[in-house]
Amino acid sequence: SVLNLKRFIGCAVREFSFLARKPGCSGLHITTDACWGRCETWEKPVLDPPFIESHQRVCTYNETRLETVQLPNCSADMEPSYTYPVALRCDCGVCLTSTTECITSV
Amino acid sequence: FRALSPGCHLYPFNVTIRTDKRGTCRGTQLVYACVGYCESSAFPSRYSVLLASNFTRNITSASRCCTISKDAKIKVRLHCPRGRHHDMEILTARACRCNMCHRSRY
Repeated sequence: SVLNLKRFIGCAVREFSFLARKPGCSGLHITTDACWGRCETWEKPVLDPPFIESHQRVCTYNETRLETVQLPNCSADMEPSYTYPVALRCDCGVCLTSTTECITSV
Repeated sequence: FRALSPGCHLYPFNVTIRTDKRGTCRGTQLVYACVGYCESSAFPSRYSVLLASNFTRNITSASRCCTISKDAKIKVRLHCPRGRHHDMEILTARACRCNMCHRSRY
């Protein structure tokens, strides 16, 4: 069945393509599994400071495995391997800065 | 909290205020929170992020969260013994928007 992405609620594994690149090598197009979705978030007024209570969960990796590829045409002094995470399971959760670069867009 | 459609919407709830534990003066007022499902995704970090984080942040999470974009103060009337009353102001949401997540970094 075709998932209607406009109406989708939740957090799921979704195909993702990117260009793996680092200085001294050519780039390599990679298609892999990443996470995408819509998680419940809210803000509500409360009586005590800071007067707004919030609940913020984002769709992120819950379980991963690492994949390593070799980038082409690397210069002699550059190690060609490039490692990236593959999503096995995705879930709504807090954005952990220990493992994740948390960016937010308007 | 349930509003099972994508987006970020006003959500009504009742706030009850008591002036003390015995509820000498009390009042109830309908106010609004913002509740919803905004888009978020997580994918492999770029090499510059890997380098900057000493290869610890191999995931990048890009998210928006349901936030209060406009709020207002409204009056609540607290009813006290002997027909007296006392007014106070509390916050309510007036408009909601999928916008930057603030508290998802922890």
